[in-house]
Amino acid sequence: MAEHGRYLFAIGRGIDGETVASTTGLRTAPLALVEHRGLQAVVCDVDLADFGEEALVRNLEDLRWLEEVARGHDHVVRTVGAEATIAPMRLVTILSGDASVRDRIEELHDELVDVLDRVDGRREWSVKAYAVPGREEPGPMSPRGTGSGSGAAYLQRKKEQAARRRTASERAVQVADEVHAHLAQHAVAGRRLQPQDPKLTGRTEPMILNGAYLVDVEHGEAFAAAVAEIDGRTIDATIEAQGPWPPYSFAVLE
Amino acid sequence: MTEVQTTARAQSDLSGAEQISLVDLLDRLLGTGVVLSGDIVISLAGVDLVQVRLHALICTIREDMAPPGGWTSRD
Repeated sequence: MAEHGRYLFAIGRGIDGETVASTTGLRTAPLALVEHRGLQAVVCDVDLADFGEEALVRNLEDLRWLEEVARGHDHVVRTVGAEATIAPMRLVTILSGDASVRDRIEELHDELVDVLDRVDGRREWSVKAYAVPGREEPGPMSPRGTGSGSGAAYLQRKKEQAARRRTASERAVQVADEVHAHLAQHAVAGRRLQPQDPKLTGRTEPMILNGAYLVDVEHGEAFAAAVAEIDGRTIDATIEAQGPWPPYSFAVLE
Repeated sequence: MTEVQTTARAQSDLSGAEQISLVDLLDRLLGTGVVLSGDIVISLAGVDLVQVRLHALICTIREDMAPPGGWTSRD
């Protein structure tokens, strides 16, 4: 007989029961709301043969499995969060049953309320800055004419290249700091995530800033305009905004 | 160049917002998000989810460059 756990997507308030009833959870399992002390948890059943401890260790390594669950999680968070205030849970937060869900809400009630107050009426914007390729390449070169084949000239060129790389990387840190500080002024809160590896972005330019910004819903367009503005006047980097997203980066319990 | 996709509707309705790339999504769903601990029946003892994420993604990208017959064990 299949053993089930309760997969917890998010905890929130003002979640519409009809939206929940008309949305499916993972693997077509129906969504349900568990209510406790004015808060609502969005849950669905999952088979522990797939989501149990041993299975998870294996399944989390399977990109297709991981993507399906992550997309399903995101879909539920977006759908129920469209007109409500929600704190999304981390992926694969699984509890034994509804009583356990209520216990968690009871235990974390005040912190959850603080999180919900923080993200109420706000959305997350992602801003990534990439160093403009080639900008570190040109620069003053030693005259190559005479003696360019000599050991001394070779070492000199190597030294200059190293110095330019150092300057470029110092400049990248400075640009990232400036962009983040500027955008944080246009947002309620800002966080810096780990810049993504070029293997994951598929871009050759190094990512120098992977920022997340919490912005009032009504200020979304102004924030996007601020990103466009700083992109326009920053010659050392390409700066791109995406959003609005659910406030994933700002739902952490302190 | 700045790519911003936004409409008045998308700002108030998350279901209408643009799709998040898988890497961005996992950055957030594994790296942050509300973490509930306690008597969660699934304790991922000894497994660092962030490491799992990068491992899985990098394996896949490498797999794309290698002959098929790979690392996944789909049933």
